Amino acid sequence: MRILVADDDVVSLRLLQKTMERAGYEVTAVADGRQAADELCKPEGPKLALLDWVMPELDGLGVCGEVRKRKEHSYVYMVLLTSKESKEDVVAGLGAGADDYLTKPFDPEELKARLRTGIRILELEDRLIEARDGMQFQATHDALTSLWNRGVIMEMLERELVRSNREGKSTAVLLADLDHFKQVNDTYGHLAGDEVLKETARRLLSSVRSYDFVGRYGGEEFLVILSDCDPAFSLTRTEEIRKAVARLPFQTSAGAIPVTMSIGLLISQEWGHRPMEELLHETDSALYTAKGAGRNCVRVAIADSPGADRNSMEAEAIRHRR
Amino acid sequence: MAKTGFDFEELLSRVENDRELMRDLLLIFKEEFPLHHQALREAVEHKDVVRIESEAHKLKGMLSNLAAHEAAEAAARLELLVRSAETSEFQEPFAEFDRIAEELARELDSCLAEVSR
Repeated sequence: MRILVADDDVVSLRLLQKTMERAGYEVTAVADGRQAADELCKPEGPKLALLDWVMPELDGLGVCGEVRKRKEHSYVYMVLLTSKESKEDVVAGLGAGADDYLTKPFDPEELKARLRTGIRILELEDRLIEARDGMQFQATHDALTSLWNRGVIMEMLERELVRSNREGKSTAVLLADLDHFKQVNDTYGHLAGDEVLKETARRLLSSVRSYDFVGRYGGEEFLVILSDCDPAFSLTRTEEIRKAVARLPFQTSAGAIPVTMSIGLLISQEWGHRPMEELLHETDSALYTAKGAGRNCVRVAIADSPGADRNSMEAEAIRHRR
Repeated sequence: MAKTGFDFEELLSRVENDRELMRDLLLIFKEEFPLHHQALREAVEHKDVVRIESEAHKLKGMLSNLAAHEAAEAAARLELLVRSAETSEFQEPFAEFDRIAEELARELDSCLAEVSR
């Protein structure tokens, strides 16, 4: 555990430093309050501090106040060490943000015991942060595939559509559905079915860029958002994603399983300002068309135009149109 | 009445029987103390109350850490005198501190010899 020790009295500083080192701490020793506050406010700075009250530049109270103000996201446990001992001083010290208070000259055993209290509080904070992060992950991710869950991926789609409209860019929206997934479950069992879903998630993630989004939309259905995707390349990129799934059979505990997926693609720029629900509905229709066309293929949602028959329009036609 | 000079046993306990550390602290003190002592003397001569308080406070902390109780108490009296604002005459309490400090300085070398044994 790292600890910061701040005291302008060299005798006291040396004594504190050695006492803490002997107790197993990794010590950062400084001689004024300004250095103390700067060290403690660093992102990876010490989370435990022993501060003299009277120091040049910034006193112990000032350090406490500044750390509490500047370091909002992780806690620093601060003990004030001083020869001030009136009730008013104690109140002022704790009021400024100190966690504990010890009068000089300190007893080494008492000091170590007080610091152990601090460590317990810091450990408790670590556990709470870990639990909060875990809950946050559970609330936003699909438990099986660890992809974004339906609620989150929908929010992301909404945001991306608004952003791309505002910036005059295009977002590619993909609804992808595994072909004959029920048969996979029926033939190989649900465990193998789960493995297929997890491997699909892995392949989808490895086929997109770091700033694209992949979510589990439903049972075997996935929503992929390709941000700032040039309309001229949307189909090519969607095809690459489809091939990444179909190229090699999935290795599962029930053996190798060949898997394919059908994909409905919508290029936002061609649809202008329309509600997300409507665009999703159109993407779903394109997916339905892909299923009807024999599966393991991509079909593009074509914006309404005279004579356009989206259900029979081949995806290739989009490419030729450009 | 506080014990005069350094309380050797108490200091040894404070450094957790680390004689090397105790020697280090006494050597730092040997170097630092005369500087602060002189600063306090000058502050008293100039009746600079802010500086008297700060130097007396610093000396009090340093002397307490080294278990030099009588000297620490004399420094504390000077600090309190400034805070209470009862007087602007500090010569007498400083003279008391000066006397104790000189005794302490004389004892320092024997204490260093003791800890080095």
